[in-house]
Amino acid sequence: MRMGGGSGRPSGARGAAAGKDAKGGPRKKFFVRRRKVCKFCAEKIEYIDWKDVKMLQGFIPERGKILPRRISGTCALHQRKLQTAIKRARSIALLPYATD
Amino acid sequence: MRLYDIVVLVTPDLSDEDAAKVAAEYKKVLVDGGANVVKEEPWGKRRLAFPILRKREAHYHYWQVEAPPAVVAEAERRMRLSDQVLRHLAVRVDEELTRAAKMAERLRLKAIKRPPRPPSATVAPGEASPAAPERSES
Repeated sequence: MRMGGGSGRPSGARGAAAGKDAKGGPRKKFFVRRRKVCKFCAEKIEYIDWKDVKMLQGFIPERGKILPRRISGTCALHQRKLQTAIKRARSIALLPYATD
Repeated sequence: MRLYDIVVLVTPDLSDEDAAKVAAEYKKVLVDGGANVVKEEPWGKRRLAFPILRKREAHYHYWQVEAPPAVVAEAERRMRLSDQVLRHLAVRVDEELTRAAKMAERLRLKAIKRPPRPPSATVAPGEASPAAPERSES
């Protein structure tokens, strides 16, 4: 298991084979994707308060579903805590289960 | 004694004062059972995110309470029986709070202990092997 293997370092593999990198896939570098960082890690919020409706609403798109980790960039640990917080808020009608 | 967050939703049909009275009944149950009210916040009349029993609003009353579990169970039982309470929620929060505090403490210590990142990381981007042990250290 070599971790440094070029995927995280664009400068190393920038030769002719840059497009066909194992992890890079078909997507070419039209834009550099911004790295998503877990909001709670960044702001050092450890306890996700289920009463903080305003904060939770940021993780609830229009439909009322919980925003997936792959989109929000939340880390696994915090996503789990966020999930229970949202579910608690839902149970007392602070947040919707679904909207249409 | 455990720490609980308790929320009661009282019918909007009642006036603010009457709703507060209804909520106070449950608070009394808790206090009589030996509970210790840490925080008390009436959130007032709020819109519900979805209708409950055809009602679109409710009086929210929130307490943070230090109480023995049996007392909370009893208060919850009574809330369930009441027609004036649309919903209620009682969750234990002491464990989560202490865990969060512990994590915050650990993060703080880590931030102190770790020296500032050496600028050498940018010097040799081609060499992958010296980078690997550096990563496992952290």
